[in-house]
Amino acid sequence: MNIVALCIILLLMFFLKSSLPASLANPLQSSSLALGFIMLFAFLAGKNINRLKLPQITGFILAGILGGPFLLKLLSVAEVKNLQLLDGLALSLIALTAGGEMEIARLRKNVKGIMSIVIFQTVVIVSGFVAFGFVGRSFFPLFRDKSSVEILSIALLFGTLATATSPSTTIAIITETKAKGKYTNLILSSAVVKDFLVIILFAFALSFSRSFLSPEEAFNINFLKDILLEVGMSLVMGLAVGAGIIFYLKYIKREVTIFILSIAFFTYQISQTIGLHSLLVCLLAGFLVKNFSLYGEKFILAIERSSLPVYVVFFAISGASIDLNALEKSWWLALIFVVWRGGLKFLGTFAGGKIAREDSLVNRQSWAGFISQAGVALGMAIIIENTFPVWGGEFKALILAVIGLNQIVGPVLLQKFLLKTGETGQKVV
Amino acid sequence: MKSFFAFGLLILIAFFGSLFIFKRKKILNPWNYILLSGFIYIFFGILLGKHVLSVLSLQVLRGLHPLVGFALGWIGFVFGFQLEIKYLRRFPQKFISLSASQFLIVFLVITSGLAVILKLMFPTQPQFLLCGLAISWGLLGSLNSPSLLNLASSSIASKGNYFYLARFLTSISGFWSLSGLALIFSFWHFPFFLHNVLVMGLIIIFSMIIFSFLLGYVFHLLTKRRVGEQDLFVFLLSFVFFAAGASLYFNLPPLFVGMLLGLIFTNLTRAQERIYPLLFASEKPIYIIFLILIGALWDLNFDYRIALLTGLLFVLKLAAFSLSLRPLKATLNFPFKLPARFGFCFLSPGGIAVALAVNIKIIYDMPLTDVFISVALLFIVISELLSPWLLRESLLKIDREK
Repeated sequence: MNIVALCIILLLMFFLKSSLPASLANPLQSSSLALGFIMLFAFLAGKNINRLKLPQITGFILAGILGGPFLLKLLSVAEVKNLQLLDGLALSLIALTAGGEMEIARLRKNVKGIMSIVIFQTVVIVSGFVAFGFVGRSFFPLFRDKSSVEILSIALLFGTLATATSPSTTIAIITETKAKGKYTNLILSSAVVKDFLVIILFAFALSFSRSFLSPEEAFNINFLKDILLEVGMSLVMGLAVGAGIIFYLKYIKREVTIFILSIAFFTYQISQTIGLHSLLVCLLAGFLVKNFSLYGEKFILAIERSSLPVYVVFFAISGASIDLNALEKSWWLALIFVVWRGGLKFLGTFAGGKIAREDSLVNRQSWAGFISQAGVALGMAIIIENTFPVWGGEFKALILAVIGLNQIVGPVLLQKFLLKTGETGQKVV
Repeated sequence: MKSFFAFGLLILIAFFGSLFIFKRKKILNPWNYILLSGFIYIFFGILLGKHVLSVLSLQVLRGLHPLVGFALGWIGFVFGFQLEIKYLRRFPQKFISLSASQFLIVFLVITSGLAVILKLMFPTQPQFLLCGLAISWGLLGSLNSPSLLNLASSSIASKGNYFYLARFLTSISGFWSLSGLALIFSFWHFPFFLHNVLVMGLIIIFSMIIFSFLLGYVFHLLTKRRVGEQDLFVFLLSFVFFAAGASLYFNLPPLFVGMLLGLIFTNLTRAQERIYPLLFASEKPIYIIFLILIGALWDLNFDYRIALLTGLLFVLKLAAFSLSLRPLKATLNFPFKLPARFGFCFLSPGGIAVALAVNIKIIYDMPLTDVFISVALLFIVISELLSPWLLRESLLKIDREK
């Protein structure tokens, strides 16, 4: 029935849009229609794709791509931009969930494996991309006719971006598959830790590249001070938010879902306004509630009750935002990068796992959990485009194509890995 | 970003508000009622709006537009969902005839009364427009809500026929008003049709019905087999969003399309018991957010014309509801007496009246729209303030006299 419903909704939307083209409609009113359509269409697509044993969020993303401004054009670029209003809420909820899923006892057990995998992945991927840049300098347009310093800079930045994994996609898949256990914790914790490492690494790589490419700009270590301040302040705010949630769950207890939604909104907004890391704030808040109160389960349950519609729109819009024009232009190059990145992820995870004496499932297969990419990498690509106008545009287009491919393949691979671990279906929601 | 912040603020207020809205504490005290029924949030909206704090500026309100559309669709859906035919069939046929006739009389009295005054007040405005305005107020005036009766039920010792009749009539009056709203939006469609108004109006009204029926049926088919609570919630949200979005896209009323969707779905599905908790859990915050947005949207313009029109609307409503009962009893051969005082318990217009007014405001972007919304909101607030007192004067006294 879902497939018939999907077709009916698609036909209805075609009919509505063809009766009154979006250019003639009030843009505000067309946003309302876009939101209704994408929520329904993506959710049905998720349900249908689930039957093929693929994760629902792949369905949400594909629905976004299909209905978005590049294929069926049922959503315009402006509508997609208007709907990105929900991204902040989704990211906060995802980070709160991530924190709430981390247990100190499990982290303690896994800390060696997590750190080892994160460090090895980072080292292998960054050096792998530097090598790629030099070896492939005559084949790939991005590296062609560039000096060695330029190639080193571009490859360093590429390597940094390639290290990133999307915690939001990871959380969404874990929530969907109801996975819980050692392997799930390892994947989730590594993705979160890596997110911070990548931010710091990116600041280093950017500063290095600037000083390499413009000798008048000396390497400036001040960014480290800024990062430390940002992280410190974020931790303080995370503590405050976490304490506030515990207080509420202990003494007030009513309308918990709306309370969590308000907290997610405000935490994101305040963090953005004063330049804090909203992901870290929410993550720590969730972590506190889980590990330092008796209300961890209630808290997660309240989030999961309200988060599905937000996730549907968030992932569908992230799909609709994938620039298919960029993908069309450089899909073959993007494909090579994706395969190369996947290979390096495998090598890094294997080496890290071996050193930490993890079992063979971690060593040989957990790389599949680190493929998805989204917001952080995209944000960094935009910074690079603005900082290096000569080749930044070309770099961003390639990164967009790579992110697009990784975001389609990543959730599927992560789900397959979680199914292999046997940890799926453990949580009762 | 400002819209995002404002949305967060709305949710926070809605959250604190929902902790104490709709409590049954001394509800027959007018001040308590205005606080506990949620109408106080209109004033919050005014405070946050462009006239005072400007948190909800026009730019922000534009960003929150999908939210207003959704809230209208949701209110319509919740109302329509309660119109189960098997439940309505339990009431005598005469109750439904009384409801329809009462609506028709009140509507005609208010519309014709205001149409005359409007023509005198705005002689330069086109007749077509003034007529639409009078009809809109007519629909608003004939609308009443059962919220006050439900909240006050504990204060009414013996709940006899009058109480149940009043509750039935107030519960169903929205159906007539919202159907009238659909007619307005079809025949006075904005931007106005220059030719074939009748044919185009009919096409629009049938399109709305077919669209809602199709969506309601698909919704039913998707939820026919047992689905999880989260999935049901997403289906509910997305169908209402889609229906509301589609109607707004064509300048049609999400309130009516939402009502039809709810009505069709509720009469097809067997999942009512699973859906009611979902609707009620989200009802309070959505209602509060909606009232705040309305307050912020309100362009506070007062002049003698607005005061006069509001007063007239109030008096016409009271008179039409009270004086129509005796002739209606005689015409319909109604089984028990309908004293004129009984008409006083139909004054509270409730949240659905606010929704109706806003639905008109967000579509009709014209100079007289501000006059319309000012009169409508003032009328609603005054009616809500006076309705607990009038309820005491009607049901409680009729009870004592019996």
